[in-house]
Amino acid sequence: METWKQSKAVFWTLATPGTLWLAIFFVAPLAIIWGLSFAEKTSIVDTEITGTLSNYIRALGTPVYLKIIWKSIWISALATLMCLIIAFPIAFVVAFAPDKWKPILLMAVILPFWINLLIRTYALISVFRTRGFVNFGLEWLWDGANSILAFIGLGPAVLGAFEPLQMLYNNFAVIAGLVYVYMPFMVLPLYATIERLDKSFLEASLDLGASQARTFWSVVFPLTMPGIVSGIILVFIPCLGSFLTPDLLGGTNATMIGNVIERQFKAANDWPFGAALSFLLMYATFGALALRSLFAGRKSGMEV
Amino acid sequence: MDLYADNDELFAKLKEGNPGYDVIVPTNDYVERMLTANMLEPLDHSQIPNMANLDKPFQDAAFDPGRKHSVPYMWGTICVGWRKSKVDGTPDSWKVLYDDDKHAGKMSLLGDAQNVIGHALKYLGMSLNSKDPAEVKKAEELIIAQKKNIKVFADDNGQDLLASGEVDICQEWNGDILQVMEEDKDIGLVVPKEGGLLWQDCLCIPKGAPHPMNAHAFLNFILDGEVGAKIGEFINYATPNAAAKKHASKEYLSNTSIFPSDDIIAKCESAVYLGEDATRLYDEAWTRIQAA
Amino acid sequence: MSELAGTNKAASPGGRAIAGPRGRHMTIGPLEYGRRFWLRCFVAATFLLLYAPIFTLIIFSFNDSRRNIVWRGFTFKYYEKAWNNDGLFEAFTNSLTIAVLTTIIATVLGAMVALLLWRYRFPGKPAYEGFMALPIVIPEICMGVAMLAFFSRIGWPSGMPWPLNLSAITIAHIAFTFPFVAIVVRARMAGFNRELEEASKDLGASEWQTFMNVIVPFMRPGLIAGALLAFTLSLDDFVITFFTAGPETVTFPVKVYSMVRFSVTPEVNAASTALIVITVLATIVAMRFQTPDKTEAT
Repeated sequence: METWKQSKAVFWTLATPGTLWLAIFFVAPLAIIWGLSFAEKTSIVDTEITGTLSNYIRALGTPVYLKIIWKSIWISALATLMCLIIAFPIAFVVAFAPDKWKPILLMAVILPFWINLLIRTYALISVFRTRGFVNFGLEWLWDGANSILAFIGLGPAVLGAFEPLQMLYNNFAVIAGLVYVYMPFMVLPLYATIERLDKSFLEASLDLGASQARTFWSVVFPLTMPGIVSGIILVFIPCLGSFLTPDLLGGTNATMIGNVIERQFKAANDWPFGAALSFLLMYATFGALALRSLFAGRKSGMEV
Repeated sequence: MDLYADNDELFAKLKEGNPGYDVIVPTNDYVERMLTANMLEPLDHSQIPNMANLDKPFQDAAFDPGRKHSVPYMWGTICVGWRKSKVDGTPDSWKVLYDDDKHAGKMSLLGDAQNVIGHALKYLGMSLNSKDPAEVKKAEELIIAQKKNIKVFADDNGQDLLASGEVDICQEWNGDILQVMEEDKDIGLVVPKEGGLLWQDCLCIPKGAPHPMNAHAFLNFILDGEVGAKIGEFINYATPNAAAKKHASKEYLSNTSIFPSDDIIAKCESAVYLGEDATRLYDEAWTRIQAA
Repeated sequence: MSELAGTNKAASPGGRAIAGPRGRHMTIGPLEYGRRFWLRCFVAATFLLLYAPIFTLIIFSFNDSRRNIVWRGFTFKYYEKAWNNDGLFEAFTNSLTIAVLTTIIATVLGAMVALLLWRYRFPGKPAYEGFMALPIVIPEICMGVAMLAFFSRIGWPSGMPWPLNLSAITIAHIAFTFPFVAIVVRARMAGFNRELEEASKDLGASEWQTFMNVIVPFMRPGLIAGALLAFTLSLDDFVITFFTAGPETVTFPVKVYSMVRFSVTPEVNAASTALIVITVLATIVAMRFQTPDKTEAT
């Protein structure tokens, strides 16, 4: 890594467009909302920025919001972990596939995500509902087992009638739904890092007698860490703010903080409070990211 | 013209100015809310001669005196939909949904604060439009106690849950239940004896509409008898249009699920815009219900 | 780590241009993970889960019912309806236009930021990284409302002719997608061996030549992954688009959202199925065109 002074022209060429774009078309709009988080509602449409902290106090002082935030955090964490567990082998297979197959496999992973989220979620519901395909399949197996048992003389319906699994409208469904929504955000960065893994390291490790598992933990895992970290960031943070998935797949207590925020901007018509909640979420994430860079900063001396 | 968003989304968008909508379709309490927020353009009745087609009761409205800003489009109720083979008798009381565990895990309520709390209030014998924190608190406690028996707060898809067998009883807009009833004879619909919400979707022209002439012409077109009959029969909601009733089929007109009898309507209540403080009261109660 | 990699051939599989003959990998058994039975099973199971809902959707697009619940016989009528639905076509064209423009610009911007963060030390870098992470951190709805407030307050012209009327949405999409690209590309660049770049410059290549011939080929998988991410994000975004869109700039998700509210799902299923088929065909065609190039390179 070099300091920016070494090649100022290149530095500024790289820095200017992205920074300007983000500053004008993102930070400026956001600043309006940030200002709102210190505002008070004066009428049904008007708000006045008074520098009040009441919105933040309301959010932090009411246990129910903290409870919902906490719940959002662990649901998102579980979903992220699931994503990682599922995405890693997929990214691995795609990255190690013959060149000819790579784009096909990559497309195959991404394709489902080009279908509209709403449609996809409804399709997911039709697969997992009480009278959905998973339960039909299970019932078929169940009945088959029953008739085999009856055939070998154990009497009719030993296993009893089939009870459909209740897979929707609970926390499990929300986590599964989030995994189904955010999977590519994990697969793609993982793919990009695994793909550049120098295979001679793996060969060396295996040649020197390490098992596949050992090779994975001591060679592959550390070397793909940047991809894993960016995947976790890209999945965990959007999960935190999601509202459509808990809305459609969750049960009666599936509300996540995203739903509460969404309501403040819509039905509750309380933009200042919604802004304060959003920014609380952002402050927390930034805190976490800062901690990570502190932690990573200590290690980066080795890595780079 | 063919973009549809729900009331809340529309309201949020119009708050920052009209991006080019000519006609919008808010529900009655939102007409009131938008009027308070000064978002609606006054109508020029001379450009809408078909307003004469409207049924007498719809010529005027409490939420928009003199119909200066809105014309009625469709109306209906919120009711109970149920699967006849799974439920004994007719669930003609909100008790079945709000205060009974006979169908535990097989019931769904709607997914918004106003309706879920409103009908709990109705069951408790209070007004759907209560602004009294103590009354809302009672409704909140009732719902929290009942939550373990409710499968899901369904946002506008209770009829799908009912049709797919996910639930046996649901709270829904009448037209949505009617749509699934057409394909499944095992499904029934009833307005509970405590009464439900009586709603009215209205056509309005938002402030800053780019083509007010066309907008008026469109409103007039919708209020045409033949057009009104066709729309009503297609979406299974009741038309407020007397001329449309002349063109509509007997089947449509005699369907008590679409046109409930007068004594049921008398028990029902229209939602009123309660003001911003009450909106917050309801939202906070709803957050507590969902987190409990 | 870079020293280690440096002594080795740094030509990792993505860098085809520099890999040359040395980049050829010994395809020996232990590394052919694609052929391992348990991995294959895992991948197959995952694909089954990914695609089961999609197949359901395709099947129900032929269902003769207004709802996706019970099978009521085969019909093509929803395809006909979708085909004749001008609004759907318009929304679809809008979505594609926005997504393609967004992908191109976001990939370029994102790659530049990734290079900047990868290459330079500069004062306030952690803060700058945080600044770049903003669009990822913010809840969608909050950003949607922010865009709504922003564009209406600066008086962004509305009612312009196509495709200029899509400008607000496209700008917003680029703003929230390019940091995603930056993160992915940067993760890729973390493993780049700087000695290669220096070697190139020692051999007399200019900054630009080095960039085009050494860095870009190495970045390519990261760019592809980032571009796919940007495209996916843009194509599927509802919330931010809804708040930035006007009545004349309806996109596919916004249209679908309103159609689902009116419960006309089979028609939407039909449109989605058509979309899948078109995507698959386009991919196949694109790959056919790429094949000769590939065989030469390897």
